[in-house]
Amino acid sequence: MRFQDAARDARTVVYAGIQADPLVARAAEALAEATPAVLVLARAVMNGESDDEATWRAIFPTLLGPLADAPSRAAAEAALQPALAIAAKGAEARNQYRGAVVEELTARLLARRSGHVRRERRVLFDGVPAEIHPYDVTIEDDRRPEVYDCKWGARGIVDDVLHQLDDARAHAADEEVALPVALVVFDTARSCAVRLDRTYAPRAGTAIVPLERMRSLAATVPVPDDPAVGDA
Amino acid sequence: MTVRDAVDRALAAYADLQGGAEDVEDEWMYIQDLTAAHRERLEALADADGDRELDPAVGSAIEAACDEIGRIRDPHRAIDWLSTFPSVVAIALGQEP
Repeated sequence: MRFQDAARDARTVVYAGIQADPLVARAAEALAEATPAVLVLARAVMNGESDDEATWRAIFPTLLGPLADAPSRAAAEAALQPALAIAAKGAEARNQYRGAVVEELTARLLARRSGHVRRERRVLFDGVPAEIHPYDVTIEDDRRPEVYDCKWGARGIVDDVLHQLDDARAHAADEEVALPVALVVFDTARSCAVRLDRTYAPRAGTAIVPLERMRSLAATVPVPDDPAVGDA
Repeated sequence: MTVRDAVDRALAAYADLQGGAEDVEDEWMYIQDLTAAHRERLEALADADGDRELDPAVGSAIEAACDEIGRIRDPHRAIDWLSTFPSVVAIALGQEP
Protein backbone atom coordinates (compact mmCIF):
# COMPACT_ATOMS: atom_id res chain seq x y z
CA MET A 1 0.00 0.00 0.00
CA ARG A 2 1.28 3.47 -0.86
CA PHE A 3 0.05 7.03 -1.21
CA GLN A 4 0.30 9.23 -4.28
CA ASP A 5 -0.61 12.79 -5.23
CA ALA A 6 -3.90 13.11 -7.08
CA ALA A 7 -3.78 13.88 -10.78
CA ARG A 8 -4.30 17.58 -11.42
CA ASP A 9 -6.88 18.81 -13.89
CA ALA A 10 -8.56 22.19 -14.36
CA ARG A 11 -11.11 21.54 -11.62
CA THR A 12 -8.55 20.50 -9.06
CA VAL A 13 -6.36 23.51 -9.88
CA VAL A 14 -9.29 25.84 -9.23
CA TYR A 15 -10.18 24.01 -6.04
CA ALA A 16 -6.55 24.09 -4.88
CA GLY A 17 -6.76 27.87 -5.15
CA ILE A 18 -9.76 27.87 -2.84
CA GLN A 19 -8.05 25.51 -0.40
CA ALA A 20 -5.10 27.88 -0.27
CA ASP A 21 -7.23 30.99 0.36
CA PRO A 22 -6.32 32.42 3.79
CA LEU A 23 -10.04 32.76 4.49
CA VAL A 24 -10.31 28.96 4.62
CA ALA A 25 -7.43 28.74 7.07
CA ARG A 26 -8.94 31.52 9.20
CA ALA A 27 -12.29 29.75 9.35
CA ALA A 28 -10.74 26.40 10.21
CA GLU A 29 -8.53 27.94 12.87
CA ALA A 30 -11.56 29.55 14.51
CA LEU A 31 -13.47 26.26 14.48
CA ALA A 32 -10.67 24.04 15.74
CA GLU A 33 -11.45 24.91 19.37
CA ALA A 34 -15.18 25.36 18.90
CA THR A 35 -17.94 23.63 20.82
CA PRO A 36 -20.64 21.79 18.86
CA ALA A 37 -22.95 24.78 19.36
CA VAL A 38 -20.44 27.12 17.73
CA LEU A 39 -19.95 24.63 14.89
CA VAL A 40 -23.73 24.73 14.34
CA LEU A 41 -23.56 28.53 14.29
CA ALA A 42 -20.85 28.35 11.60
CA ARG A 43 -22.86 25.80 9.65
CA ALA A 44 -25.99 27.96 9.81
CA VAL A 45 -24.16 31.07 8.60
CA MET A 46 -22.31 29.20 5.83
CA ASN A 47 -25.53 27.52 4.70
CA GLY A 48 -25.99 30.88 3.08
CA GLU A 49 -29.05 33.00 3.55
CA SER A 50 -28.66 36.29 5.40
CA ASP A 51 -25.20 37.86 5.40
CA ASP A 52 -26.39 40.44 7.91
CA GLU A 53 -24.36 40.07 11.09
CA ALA A 54 -27.17 41.45 13.26
CA THR A 55 -29.47 38.65 12.14
CA TRP A 56 -27.10 36.00 13.46
CA ARG A 57 -26.56 37.84 16.72
CA ALA A 58 -30.33 37.78 17.18
CA ILE A 59 -30.65 34.09 16.29
CA PHE A 60 -27.88 32.98 18.67
CA PRO A 61 -28.39 34.93 21.92
CA THR A 62 -26.70 32.19 23.96
CA LEU A 63 -23.54 32.48 21.84
CA LEU A 64 -23.41 36.03 20.51
CA GLY A 65 -26.03 37.90 22.50
CA PRO A 66 -27.03 38.86 26.01
CA LEU A 67 -27.23 35.28 27.29
CA ALA A 68 -23.70 34.28 26.21
CA ASP A 69 -20.95 33.62 28.73
CA ALA A 70 -17.50 35.01 27.96
CA PRO A 71 -15.83 31.84 26.59
CA SER A 72 -18.81 31.01 24.37
CA ARG A 73 -18.95 34.56 23.07
CA ALA A 74 -15.23 34.64 22.24
CA ALA A 75 -15.42 31.38 20.30
CA ALA A 76 -18.58 32.40 18.49
CA GLU A 77 -17.21 35.83 17.58
CA ALA A 78 -14.10 34.21 16.12
CA ALA A 79 -16.20 31.84 14.03
CA LEU A 80 -18.71 34.43 12.85
CA GLN A 81 -16.59 36.72 10.67
CA PRO A 82 -14.99 34.11 8.39
CA ALA A 83 -18.33 32.30 8.15
CA LEU A 84 -20.00 35.52 7.02
CA ALA A 85 -17.26 36.10 4.45
CA ILE A 86 -17.89 32.64 3.02
CA ALA A 87 -21.66 33.09 3.14
CA ALA A 88 -21.34 36.28 1.08
CA LYS A 89 -19.83 34.40 -1.87
CA GLY A 90 -21.92 33.18 -4.77
CA ALA A 91 -23.63 29.82 -4.35
CA GLU A 92 -21.11 27.79 -6.35
CA ALA A 93 -18.06 29.33 -4.68
CA ARG A 94 -19.70 29.09 -1.26
CA ASN A 95 -20.22 25.36 -1.68
CA GLN A 96 -16.56 24.88 -2.53
CA TYR A 97 -15.32 27.13 0.26
CA ARG A 98 -17.34 25.46 2.96
CA GLY A 99 -16.19 22.03 1.78
CA ALA A 100 -12.61 23.27 1.91
CA VAL A 101 -13.20 24.53 5.46
CA VAL A 102 -14.33 21.09 6.63
CA GLU A 103 -11.26 19.49 5.05
CA GLU A 104 -8.91 22.08 6.52
CA LEU A 105 -10.50 21.76 9.95
CA THR A 106 -10.12 17.98 9.78
CA ALA A 107 -6.48 18.28 8.73
CA ARG A 108 -5.70 20.75 11.51
CA LEU A 109 -7.29 18.58 14.17
CA LEU A 110 -5.44 15.48 12.96
CA ALA A 111 -2.17 17.41 12.83
CA ARG A 112 -2.38 17.77 16.61
CA ARG A 113 -1.58 14.08 16.98
CA SER A 114 0.34 13.33 13.79
CA GLY A 115 3.07 14.98 11.78
CA HIS A 116 2.16 13.01 8.67
CA VAL A 117 -1.08 14.68 7.54
CA ARG A 118 -1.49 15.12 3.77
CA ARG A 119 -4.30 16.34 1.51
CA GLU A 120 -5.87 15.10 -1.74
CA ARG A 121 -4.02 11.82 -1.94
CA ARG A 122 -4.77 8.57 -3.71
CA VAL A 123 -4.12 5.23 -2.06
CA LEU A 124 -2.60 2.56 -4.28
CA PHE A 125 -2.63 -1.19 -3.63
CA ASP A 126 -0.73 -3.96 -5.39
CA GLY A 127 -2.82 -5.56 -8.12
CA VAL A 128 -5.78 -3.21 -7.64
CA PRO A 129 -6.75 -0.60 -10.28
CA ALA A 130 -6.16 2.85 -8.82
CA GLU A 131 -9.18 4.93 -7.83
CA ILE A 132 -9.20 8.24 -9.65
CA HIS A 133 -10.84 10.10 -6.78
CA PRO A 134 -8.39 11.13 -4.07
CA TYR A 135 -9.15 10.99 -0.36
CA ASP A 136 -9.52 14.41 1.26
CA VAL A 137 -7.14 13.94 4.18
CA THR A 138 -4.66 11.20 4.96
CA ILE A 139 -2.23 10.37 7.74
CA GLU A 140 0.74 8.76 6.06
CA ASP A 141 2.47 7.25 9.04
CA ASP A 142 4.11 3.95 8.08
CA ARG A 143 3.11 2.42 11.41
CA ARG A 144 -0.52 3.60 11.47
CA PRO A 145 -1.87 5.24 8.30
CA GLU A 146 -5.41 6.67 8.30
CA VAL A 147 -7.75 7.84 5.54
CA TYR A 148 -10.52 10.48 5.73
CA ASP A 149 -13.16 11.88 3.46
CA CYS A 150 -15.09 15.00 4.45
CA LYS A 151 -18.63 16.19 3.72
CA TRP A 152 -20.45 19.42 4.42
CA GLY A 153 -23.74 17.74 5.29
CA ALA A 154 -25.37 14.41 5.98
CA ARG A 155 -26.77 14.51 2.47
CA GLY A 156 -23.22 13.94 1.27
CA ILE A 157 -23.24 10.47 2.80
CA VAL A 158 -23.78 8.45 -0.37
CA ASP A 159 -23.01 4.88 -1.33
CA ASP A 160 -20.05 5.80 -3.57
CA VAL A 161 -18.26 7.54 -0.73
CA LEU A 162 -18.87 4.70 1.72
CA HIS A 163 -17.78 2.10 -0.85
CA GLN A 164 -14.58 4.00 -1.58
CA LEU A 165 -13.63 4.20 2.08
CA ASP A 166 -14.49 0.56 2.68
CA ASP A 167 -12.54 -0.50 -0.40
CA ALA A 168 -9.44 1.22 0.97
CA ARG A 169 -9.86 -0.50 4.33
CA ALA A 170 -10.45 -3.91 2.73
CA HIS A 171 -7.54 -3.67 0.28
CA ALA A 172 -5.24 -2.57 3.09
CA ALA A 173 -6.39 -5.55 5.13
CA ASP A 174 -5.47 -7.78 2.17
CA GLU A 175 -1.94 -6.40 2.57
CA GLU A 176 -2.16 -7.00 6.33
CA VAL A 177 -2.34 -3.30 7.09
CA ALA A 178 -4.94 -2.09 9.60
CA LEU A 179 -6.20 1.11 7.93
CA PRO A 180 -8.70 3.18 9.91
CA VAL A 181 -11.07 4.96 7.52
CA ALA A 182 -13.55 7.68 8.46
CA LEU A 183 -16.11 10.03 7.00
CA VAL A 184 -16.14 13.44 8.67
CA VAL A 185 -19.53 15.13 8.31
CA PHE A 186 -20.09 18.76 9.30
CA ASP A 187 -23.64 17.99 10.35
CA THR A 188 -25.35 16.71 13.47
CA ALA A 189 -25.27 13.07 14.56
CA ARG A 190 -29.05 12.94 14.29
CA SER A 191 -29.01 13.92 10.61
CA CYS A 192 -26.13 11.53 9.90
CA ALA A 193 -28.01 8.67 11.57
CA VAL A 194 -31.07 9.31 9.41
CA ARG A 195 -28.96 9.35 6.27
CA LEU A 196 -27.10 6.18 7.22
CA ASP A 197 -30.39 4.37 7.78
CA ARG A 198 -31.05 4.80 4.07
CA THR A 199 -27.80 3.35 2.76
CA TYR A 200 -26.92 -0.25 2.02
CA ALA A 201 -23.25 0.41 1.34
CA PRO A 202 -20.76 -1.33 3.64
CA ARG A 203 -19.91 0.83 6.63
CA ALA A 204 -19.15 -1.58 9.45
CA GLY A 205 -15.46 -0.71 9.20
CA THR A 206 -15.95 3.03 8.64
CA ALA A 207 -16.08 5.60 11.41
CA ILE A 208 -18.62 8.37 10.97
CA VAL A 209 -17.52 11.58 12.66
CA PRO A 210 -20.40 14.05 13.00
CA LEU A 211 -20.08 17.65 14.07
CA GLU A 212 -20.45 16.78 17.77
CA ARG A 213 -17.36 14.56 17.65
CA MET A 214 -15.07 16.62 15.47
CA ARG A 215 -12.80 17.76 18.27
CA SER A 216 -12.08 14.14 19.18
CA LEU A 217 -10.10 13.81 15.93
CA ALA A 218 -7.28 15.68 17.65
CA ALA A 219 -6.94 13.06 20.36
CA THR A 220 -7.90 9.62 19.10
CA VAL A 221 -8.42 7.52 16.01
CA PRO A 222 -12.20 7.44 15.39
CA VAL A 223 -13.83 4.08 15.99
CA PRO A 224 -16.31 2.61 13.52
CA ASP A 225 -19.83 2.87 14.87
CA ASP A 226 -22.98 4.76 14.07
CA PRO A 227 -23.22 8.35 15.26
CA ALA A 228 -24.53 8.57 18.81
CA VAL A 229 -27.58 10.79 19.11
CA GLY A 230 -27.96 12.46 22.46
CA ASP A 231 -31.27 12.38 24.27
CA ALA A 232 -33.35 15.49 24.20
CA MET B 1 -43.28 32.98 25.26
CA THR B 2 -42.88 29.49 26.77
CA VAL B 3 -40.78 26.61 25.52
CA ARG B 4 -43.98 25.05 24.15
CA ASP B 5 -44.85 28.26 22.28
CA ALA B 6 -41.34 28.43 20.84
CA VAL B 7 -41.38 24.82 19.69
CA ASP B 8 -44.82 25.21 18.14
CA ARG B 9 -43.67 28.30 16.24
CA ALA B 10 -40.50 26.53 15.12
CA LEU B 11 -42.34 23.42 13.98
CA ALA B 12 -44.77 25.50 11.89
CA ALA B 13 -41.86 27.21 10.13
CA TYR B 14 -40.11 23.85 9.77
CA ALA B 15 -43.15 22.39 8.01
CA ASP B 16 -43.04 25.21 5.47
CA LEU B 17 -39.32 24.66 4.95
CA GLN B 18 -39.97 20.96 4.39
CA GLY B 19 -42.51 21.80 1.70
CA GLY B 20 -39.89 23.82 -0.16
CA ALA B 21 -37.28 21.08 0.12
CA GLU B 22 -39.58 18.43 -1.31
CA ASP B 23 -39.06 19.87 -4.79
CA VAL B 24 -35.89 17.74 -4.78
CA GLU B 25 -37.79 14.59 -5.65
CA ASP B 26 -34.80 12.24 -5.37
CA GLU B 27 -34.49 13.11 -1.70
CA TRP B 28 -38.18 12.87 -0.81
CA MET B 29 -37.88 9.88 1.51
CA TYR B 30 -34.76 11.25 3.16
CA ILE B 31 -36.58 14.51 3.79
CA GLN B 32 -39.50 12.65 5.42
CA ASP B 33 -37.18 10.67 7.69
CA LEU B 34 -34.99 13.65 8.49
CA THR B 35 -37.86 15.93 9.44
CA ALA B 36 -39.57 13.20 11.46
CA ALA B 37 -36.42 12.67 13.52
CA HIS B 38 -35.89 16.36 14.18
CA ARG B 39 -39.58 17.04 14.90
CA GLU B 40 -39.54 14.25 17.44
CA ARG B 41 -36.56 15.80 19.18
CA LEU B 42 -38.14 19.28 19.33
CA GLU B 43 -41.42 17.88 20.56
CA ALA B 44 -39.54 16.06 23.30
CA LEU B 45 -38.03 19.36 24.39
CA ALA B 46 -41.50 20.85 24.67
CA ASP B 47 -42.85 17.80 26.52
CA ALA B 48 -40.03 17.97 29.04
CA ASP B 49 -40.02 21.68 29.73
CA GLY B 50 -42.97 23.21 27.90
CA ASP B 51 -44.25 25.60 30.58
CA ARG B 52 -40.91 27.31 31.20
CA GLU B 53 -41.02 31.01 30.39
CA LEU B 54 -38.25 32.06 28.03
CA ASP B 55 -36.03 35.09 28.20
CA PRO B 56 -37.32 37.63 25.67
CA ALA B 57 -34.03 37.33 23.77
CA VAL B 58 -34.76 33.64 23.21
CA GLY B 59 -38.26 34.37 21.96
CA SER B 60 -36.82 36.91 19.55
CA ALA B 61 -34.20 34.37 18.46
CA ILE B 62 -36.86 31.82 17.58
CA GLU B 63 -38.76 34.42 15.59
CA ALA B 64 -35.60 35.53 13.78
CA ALA B 65 -34.65 31.94 12.94
CA CYS B 66 -38.15 31.25 11.62
CA ASP B 67 -37.98 34.40 9.50
CA GLU B 68 -34.61 33.32 8.17
CA ILE B 69 -35.79 29.94 6.93
CA GLY B 70 -38.96 31.53 5.61
CA ARG B 71 -36.86 33.37 3.05
CA ILE B 72 -35.31 30.25 1.55
CA ARG B 73 -36.41 29.57 -2.02
CA ASP B 74 -33.74 27.16 -3.22
CA PRO B 75 -34.81 23.56 -2.40
CA HIS B 76 -31.25 22.31 -2.00
CA ARG B 77 -30.50 25.05 0.48
CA ALA B 78 -33.75 24.13 2.20
CA ILE B 79 -32.42 20.58 2.71
CA ASP B 80 -29.28 22.03 4.30
CA TRP B 81 -31.51 23.97 6.65
CA LEU B 82 -33.75 21.01 7.48
CA SER B 83 -30.80 19.48 9.31
CA THR B 84 -29.56 22.79 10.78
CA PHE B 85 -32.65 24.67 11.94
CA PRO B 86 -33.69 22.23 14.71
CA SER B 87 -30.21 22.52 16.23
CA VAL B 88 -30.41 26.30 16.05
CA VAL B 89 -33.70 26.15 17.95
CA ALA B 90 -32.27 23.73 20.51
CA ILE B 91 -29.26 25.98 21.13
CA ALA B 92 -31.52 29.00 21.62
CA LEU B 93 -33.49 26.98 24.17
CA GLY B 94 -30.29 26.23 26.06
CA GLN B 95 -29.88 22.66 24.84
CA GLU B 96 -27.07 20.85 23.05
CA PRO B 97 -27.36 20.90 19.24
